[in-house]
Formats: sequence, C-alpha cells, structure tokens
Amino acid sequence: MNELSVENLHVSIAGKEIVRGFTLHVPRGEVHAIMGPNGSGKSTLAKVLAGHPDYEVTQGKVFMDGEDVLALEPDERARRGLFLAFQYPSEIPGVTIANFLRAAVQARMPEGEELEATDYYARLYEKMELLGMDRSFTSRSVNEGFSGGEKKRNEILQMAMLDPKYAVLDETDSGLDIDALKTVSHGVDSLRGPNLGILLITHYQRLLNYIVPDHVHVMVAGRVVRSGRKELALELEERGYDWAREEEAVMAR
Amino acid sequence: MPNQPAVLDAEAEAGANASARSILSGPVASSSLPDWFREQQRAAWSQFEGMRMPVRKDQPWRFSSVDRLDLAPFRQPSVLTEAQRTEVLERSRALDKIAARLVFADDQLIDSAALPDKLRERGVILQPLGRALVEHPALFRKHFMSQPATLGSAKFAALHQAFVTSGAFLFVPRGVEIEEPIEIFHWLCGDHAAVFPHLLLVTDELSKVTVIEHFGSLSATAPGFACGVNDLNAGPGAQVTYVCAQNWGKHVRALQMNTTLVDHEASALSLNVHLGANYSRFESLSRLTAEGARSDLLAVAIATGDQEFDARTLQDHTSPHTTSDLLYKNALDDRSRCIFGGLIRVEPHAHFTDAYQKVRNLLLSDEAEADSMPGLEILADNVKCTHGATTGQIDKDEMFYLRSRGISPAVARRLVVTGFLNEVIRRLERPAISEYLHRLIEQKFVQK
Amino acid sequence: MEKETSAVDINRNIGDFAYPEVHVRDAGTGLTEKTIHYISDVKEDPDWVREFRLRGLKTFLEKPMPTHWASKDLEAIHFDKIRYYLSTGTATKRSWDDVPDDVKRTFERLGIPEQERKFLAGVEAQFDSEAVYSNIKKAVGEQGVIFVGSTEGLKNHPEIFRKWFGKIIPTGDNKFSALNSAVFSGGSFIYVPPGVKVKHPLQAYFRINAENFGQFERTLIIVDEGAELTYMEGCTAPKFNTATLHSAVVELVAMKGAKIQYITVQNWSANVFNLVTKRGLAHEDAEIKWIDCNIGSRLTMKYPSVIMKGRKARGEVLSIALANDGQHQDTGAKMIHAADETTSNIISKSISIGTGRSSYRGLVQVPKHLKNCKNNTECDALLINSSSRTDTYPAITVRGTGNAVQHEASVSQVSAEQIFYMQQRGLSEAQAMSLSVNGFVNDLVRQFPMEYSVELKRLIELEMEGSVG
Repeated sequence: MNELSVENLHVSIAGKEIVRGFTLHVPRGEVHAIMGPNGSGKSTLAKVLAGHPDYEVTQGKVFMDGEDVLALEPDERARRGLFLAFQYPSEIPGVTIANFLRAAVQARMPEGEELEATDYYARLYEKMELLGMDRSFTSRSVNEGFSGGEKKRNEILQMAMLDPKYAVLDETDSGLDIDALKTVSHGVDSLRGPNLGILLITHYQRLLNYIVPDHVHVMVAGRVVRSGRKELALELEERGYDWAREEEAVMAR
Repeated sequence: MPNQPAVLDAEAEAGANASARSILSGPVASSSLPDWFREQQRAAWSQFEGMRMPVRKDQPWRFSSVDRLDLAPFRQPSVLTEAQRTEVLERSRALDKIAARLVFADDQLIDSAALPDKLRERGVILQPLGRALVEHPALFRKHFMSQPATLGSAKFAALHQAFVTSGAFLFVPRGVEIEEPIEIFHWLCGDHAAVFPHLLLVTDELSKVTVIEHFGSLSATAPGFACGVNDLNAGPGAQVTYVCAQNWGKHVRALQMNTTLVDHEASALSLNVHLGANYSRFESLSRLTAEGARSDLLAVAIATGDQEFDARTLQDHTSPHTTSDLLYKNALDDRSRCIFGGLIRVEPHAHFTDAYQKVRNLLLSDEAEADSMPGLEILADNVKCTHGATTGQIDKDEMFYLRSRGISPAVARRLVVTGFLNEVIRRLERPAISEYLHRLIEQKFVQK
Repeated sequence: MEKETSAVDINRNIGDFAYPEVHVRDAGTGLTEKTIHYISDVKEDPDWVREFRLRGLKTFLEKPMPTHWASKDLEAIHFDKIRYYLSTGTATKRSWDDVPDDVKRTFERLGIPEQERKFLAGVEAQFDSEAVYSNIKKAVGEQGVIFVGSTEGLKNHPEIFRKWFGKIIPTGDNKFSALNSAVFSGGSFIYVPPGVKVKHPLQAYFRINAENFGQFERTLIIVDEGAELTYMEGCTAPKFNTATLHSAVVELVAMKGAKIQYITVQNWSANVFNLVTKRGLAHEDAEIKWIDCNIGSRLTMKYPSVIMKGRKARGEVLSIALANDGQHQDTGAKMIHAADETTSNIISKSISIGTGRSSYRGLVQVPKHLKNCKNNTECDALLINSSSRTDTYPAITVRGTGNAVQHEASVSQVSAEQIFYMQQRGLSEAQAMSLSVNGFVNDLVRQFPMEYSVELKRLIELEMEGSVG
C-alpha cells in the first residue's frame, strides 16, 4: 500500500507523554495538513517520524509503503524516501550547500556508482530557479547566517533535489513574510504529484491558501480530534483552537 | 550610623605583643588562641620555610616581577597610636547604607557596626576571626583554607596561615537574605607593617549576601605588605556578591588569594577593583562543584607609574551544567604593567559547561606593558567555551569626536577610560556600590 | 567523494612499509663525542662544523627536558637507545636511475618521482640520515637558484651558508635545537637570488626507514630581495614498535620584499616523537608564511615562529592539527614583532578524536616604542568525543600605544542536532561527522595551495573513519 501510515502512536520525552494515540494515513499523491495550537505535539510528531533520538516511542507503529520504519536509523528512513523540512534547520559551518546536497544525492545512489557532476549542477540550478534562488547561494555554508526565509527556501530546495516519497513540512510557514511564503509555497506546490505524499504541519491557516490540502486534521494534546476537508481549516481560523480543545476534553473523558 | 564601641578581641593584643619583629623571624605564638589553631599555624610556618621563593621562570609566575616580593623589610605591626585610630575611624566610611561594618587597622579590630538584631536573631553571625574559631570551631575548621592554593602562591598561603589572627567570619543561615552590603575595612598604618587579612564567608542554602572589602593605607607613601586569603562559600541556591576595592598606598606589596566554591544552583559574583599598591598579585580560583552553579569573575585595574598588577585566575568546572564568565579590563599608563594568567579548566565529565573568559587591555602610554595568557584546558564534551584577549589603545576617532565637542584631551581620556571600565562595573547591578567605585576611580585620575 | 587526483599523495597508511636496511654508515647506538666525530668524519665536515657539533652536544647534555611545561611523555625517549646516523654511504644522485633500487622503490610507492614530473621545480628525497636524490629543474637552476642538501650547502656555498646558519635559531634555543646542532644531517639548503620568483614549489621528502633511529635534518632557506619561494615538505615512516625521533631545525631568511611560503604535511607514524624548531627572519616588507598540518606522530611539539625585523614585515602561521587516539599534537606559533608596522596572523584549528589531545601554545610579542603593529590570533578546537582533550596556552605581551593585538579562541563540538539534520538527508552518522569536521577546517584549508587542500580533506576523512560512536 503506497501510503505513510501512523497507527496509535504514543511518544514520550524524558518520561512525559507528548503524542498520545495519534493515527493518520497519508497516501502518495495527497496533501494532508495537521493544524493545532502550540504544545499540541505537532513538531514532536514530525521529529519522531524522522527518527530523532531524543524521543521514545512507547506504543504504536509507523509504516511507509508497508514497511515498518520505527526500527530504521534516521538516514535509512531518509534514503527510503522520507523527508522532513525542519522548523529550525541546523547550521553546518563550513559545509557548502552544493557539497552537502551532493553528498546527500550520492548517498541515494547504488554503491560504486558516481554522481555525474554536470547533471547534478544542471538539476540543482533548475530547482534553484524554481525557488527564486541566486546561484551564489550554493557556495554558502548550510544555514549559517541565513535569514528565516532563506532557511525555509533551502529546506524546500533540498526536498526538490532529494525526490522524496513522503515529505513532512514542519511549520514551514513560520517566520516568513508574505512574499517569502508565496515563493516557498509555490515551490512546494510545484512538487505535488502522484508520487509524493505531503504532510503539512502548521499553526496558521494562511499557508493553506497557497498549498491547498486534500485533508485537514486538527491535533490537540497529542492526538487528532477532528478531520475534514480543506474547509475545516477556515472553520478553525474563525473559531480558534479553544473549540478544538473542548473536543479533546470530551474525547479524553 | 551608630558608632559602636570597639569590640576588642584577643587578636588585637596578639598583634601588639609582636611589635617590630620582621615577619621572616616567624610568628609569635599567641596564648589566647586554641591549641589546634596554634598547631596549624606552626605547621604552616614550617611549610613556608620549607618552600623556595617563586621565580619568574616558574610557569605560574611568568612575566611577574617576583623580585618585588622581598619580605625582609616587613614587620609585624606595633600598637596603634591614638592619632592613627582616630584617622582610621574617620576614613572608614564608604557606603551610606550597610548591614554591618568591621574595621581593622594593622590587623587589629578597632571598630564595628553590629548587625541589626533582626538578622542576628535569624542566626547570621558576623565576628572577628579570633572569636569565631573559638565559638564556632566546627564551621570554622570545615571551611577555613579548605582548598589548597594552586595558582602559584602556596608559599604565601602558608605565610598567611602562619600569621593570620585577624579578619572576618560571616555565616548566613538557610534562607536568610541580607539586602544591604556588609562592609569590611583593612588598613595598613605602621611603617613597613605587614597584615594578613582574611574573610571566611559561609552561606547556607538559598541565602543571599553582599560583602565589600576596602583595602587602604593611612599614609599614601609608607611601605607595607599585605597577604590576604578569602574563603568564599556559596551554598546550594545561595547568591553571593563579593566586591573588593584595593587601594593600598603606592609602596605597598600585596598578595591576595581568593577561593570561591559554588554549589548547586548557587551563583557567586566577584568584582575586584585594583587601584593601589606598587605590586599587587591577585589569585582567584572559582570552583563550580554542582549542577546549575554559576560564577561571574569581574575585575578592573588602573595601573599608573611603575605599578604592577598580576592577576591569575582559574575557572574550575568540576560538575556538568555549570557556567562561568570572566571579564577583566585593565587601563595602563606610564611604565605600568598588567599581567593576566587565566585558565578555564573543564574537568572530565563536566559536560554541558559554558565558560567564557575575556581580557581587555587599554594601553595609554608607550611604556606600559600588558601580558595576557588566557588558557583553556578542556577535558569534557559538549562544552561551550570561548576566550578572547585584546590589547589596544584609545581610538583616535573617538578622541577626536570628544575634542570636537570642546572637551580637553585629559578629560576626554578620562571619559574614554571610565567608559571602558564601566562595562565591567555595570555588571554588578548594585548602583550604590558602583557609584562608590566610580568615585574611587575618579580619585585615581585626580591623584595622577 | 572528490575525484581530483592529488599532487601530494598522503594518507595515513601509505607510508607503512619498510625495506630491509642497507646501511653502510652507522654511528651506532647512543650519543657521545665519539658519535659526533664519527658523523663529522663520514661527512668530511670542515673544522668549524665539527666544533659547532661538539658545542651542540655540550648544550644538549646541559639543558633539562622541558617537562616542567611540556608533556611528560618526553621522558619515554631513551636517547641512549637511538641511532643517530645511518646512510648508504653513497653520494646524492641527480637522477632516479642512479638511486639504489630499494630506496627508489620506497619513493616510487610514495609517489615522489611522479609529482616531480607533474608540478615541482625540484625535489630532494632524504632516506634516514642522507639525501639519496636531489634535483632541480634546469630552468630554475639557470636562474641561479641553489637547491642542495645541507652538507653540500655548507661545503660549496660557505659564503652564504655560514652567514645565516645557526643565526635564526641559536644552538641553545632549546634542548632539541641543541641536539640537532650536534648530529644534524640532511635537510635542504636553498638560496634564491634577488628578484627570482620560483614559480613551482620545491619539495623535500623525509623518510625514516630504520628502527630505533633519529632523523635530524637541518634546513636553511635564504630568499634574497624581492624573490619568492614555496617550499613543501612531507614525511612518513613505517609503524615500528619502538619510539623513533625526528628533531629538525629549519631556519628561513626573507630579505627585503621577499616572500617565503613553507608548507608541511606531517604524517609520521604513531611511534614518532616529532620535536621540531622552525623560525623565520623577515626583513623589511618581507613575508613569511608557515602552513603547518600535523596529522601523524605520537607527540609533536612544534611552534613555527616569525621574527619581523624590518618595517612592514609580515608573518603568518596557518595550522591544522588532528589528534587521534594516543596522539598529542602540541603545536602553535610565535610572532616576534621587532619593527614598526609589522603584522602577524595566526589561525589554528585542531580536532581531537577519541583519546587524542591537542594543545595550542602561542607567543605574541610587541615590545615598546613600536608603532602600528598588529596581531590577530584565532584558535578553534573541535572535540569529537568525551575522552579527548584540548588546551590553549597563549602568552601575549604588548607595549606601546600604537599597536593592536587580539586573540580569540573557541572550543566546540559537532552537535547531536547537526548530525540528526544531516542523517535526515540520508547521510550516515559517520558521513555526517566527516562532513562537519571538514566544514570546521574548510575556511582555513581554502587558503592552502590547491594540491594540498584536496588531499588534506581526504586525509582528514580517512582519519575520521571509525571514530564515531
């Protein structure tokens, strides 16, 4: 089955349960949005899917195209096609974007096969153009001294280059002004297609004006309290999260 | 401020008995001290005699003018004259609002303003050392010179221990916060007098205290020798602020060895202002012994004439999750010299340590010399650690800007230098004390 | 990852082989006056050199080991168990064809003749105590450039040699410079005449093949007014079980307006004590740049120095040290400002892995009455895991109002978040670590000549393998 499925996931950090029975299915070709207030466990979910070592999965399963991913190392998950656009991407001093991405692309090739440099750069420049990035960008160190917008654009550039099957976008809209938001959204939108499943994690509805989701899920206190179509996002925007919190309280009873 | 009658103690008499003896002929045993203490003093004296004088080649004394530490001319002081007493009392005024005050002259306690009853009732103890070692022997013995002097002056620490009879003992019990500072004065009065000031500070859990020590000479020109040791202990969650205003007369040779132990979640801040003495060596060890401990080490110095300030520091992180931050600034004029030898040491397993060390020298003359040795020894992982040392001079554009506003070169220089030192003093966050320190600094400019 | 072929072929294991010894000349084990006379006899030293050696021995014996500040590991050197001179007893050859087969094979395995053809202006190859091969491209020789071994230099060019020999680094500078003065053999003597800019580098390659041996080369380089030179040295030894000693003295003289760039890639095996004294004298407007990479050895103690004697002279030390398990890289720099408007720059980066320890020792001196001198020092240390150690011990003395000196140091490590980020992009933990380390040294390596930067990065990558976890 070509989908990313999360079944009854429970996650703790330092003994505190953050994700409490989360279930979701994202088939390839669809865009799902997860919305929720601060502290609802959205970002934890993103990191856990990618295999961050700080979090402990106490219960539940995650499958990617039928394969159990929880046993895999973070890099193995990535090479199998899972991509996370970080909310706070790390700085890697001294390592240029060109070299970094080249190493990442090479890591996905069969052993013994060498990346063709000219093809690689042709593709890189094409994707950069799509995201309105200057070529000089490639010689800067990864995320070092980047503005908020540059960091997010860099995440989407990597997504474009690495051709994932499933992409988790963690608050990709945070800290962006409207122009940067449009560019980034346009970039993501252009990558949509039958072979890619996208999970958008966001606090605000405004991103969903530009990347229109197929499904919207509301996450409160570590689980989905309501799912619906794109209209749900607008409803949430109007009524606020208190309403969703009440639903959670009802569920928790 | 009520001027309480002098609390005369055993040590005053001890000092008097020993008049006019060179310190190199050894201390005179005082019959009023307990046997165990006298035994310690004897042991310290033979330790002193057994160790050789440091030389410049010794790594901890690199660059230092060790030859200025000829101890032969210095004597145990004689009894104070009435005139000296009067003058000391007159001049022992610094801050308006204090919690208590002790005044020592030539190692004799001559005046004190006692703690408010409220604090005494809550168990705060402020006593001259000689009394504390009789009345509180357990506390005293646990903390008195409990850490070996590792920054080069082991010989002088032994000398101190052999001679010390005077100084302050301060204990702040659990949860007691003392808002106003406690003031301690140490005066050199007699010609070629030697003094051995001591401060033993013990703070219990979650207490808070500020101590300011003033070091000064009655005569601006009389030679003298001061060899002090401070044991500062910040208990769990305690906040200790220690300020030292060193303003000895210009022919004084001084050594000061301070050790600060900082416990779990405690914070200790020390600010040392060095203005006086011909040669002043200052050793400061700050040991962070439990998680959450924080130590701020601050110092400023204005060196003029042929003054030499020799500062040696150790930020010793023995526990994970500890923080230390050192900022030393020196302004150097004439033929003066400032030496900084500092080490950040992060012991194995003291992971997640943040340690900073910054030294700035401002050279105001062609003959002044700044020697900086900022060191790091990192034996742990996950450490954030930086140090920096810069030496430069007043920016020409800055001077020009001030002069274009009609300010004379001398005033402009003073403004720039005080501004430079201000960055350190501001970190104290005690406006009354900062203002007092500024006055002292201004005076140094006037003297020049 | 990189496909570029390298000019200077270095990796940690390439040097780990040895051919049977073929020494005809052997001064025996231990160090006495007899050893000195043996060396002087074999080398047919002039009397002044023999006396110079004897004085060196006396000073060496008088001086204590510097263990009061340096590593106690120095005590593991047994001077009485070392052989101080070993050679095949044949003259230095001008053609590889004339070099004995075993020795030639050694250097071929190290890739030296190939590099010579490709990009070098001249090569000298030293095997144990003596140079077995020395040649300079005809065109360079015709410009008046002298590039010979130290023995040949002192015999055939005494007028230049004696003027500077032992003047930049006096015999008594330290215990090991004294030792070198007593038993020196091999190393290069180079003279570049006024105005001659040697386009391609001259290269020396030092090879230790024998066990229980000490190599003591002595290099003297004089670059005359307005001339320029790049000199590179490489070194390897097999992994013996016993301690080997390498104690060189290198003196550089840059006359008015001259430029010298001296590049070292030190890749001794982990049994070598590498105790080297290097110092340059820069006259007016001259520039001396030390590029110093220390990857190998058990203990390295090396602090390249520049004395800026003339107005506007410049000194620079760029150094990278990598201390792996059991290694101690004790390196640094000294900058002595002795004239107005002199500037110096020190950038040091060290990486400690496993139980490795790296130390930086620096000395910057600006004496009084100098104007407009500047020094900038940056030293950064990277720690890879919790048993490694790094120290920084600078000493900075500044006098006078016209000068600006700044020193900055930092210690950091590769963070777990950084590694996770890279793993999320599909890199293994080891690849992520390697990339981070390369990133750490990158801005410095970029300042190196191309041939070195590529290879150095590869070398560091090799060293990083298996260091994670």
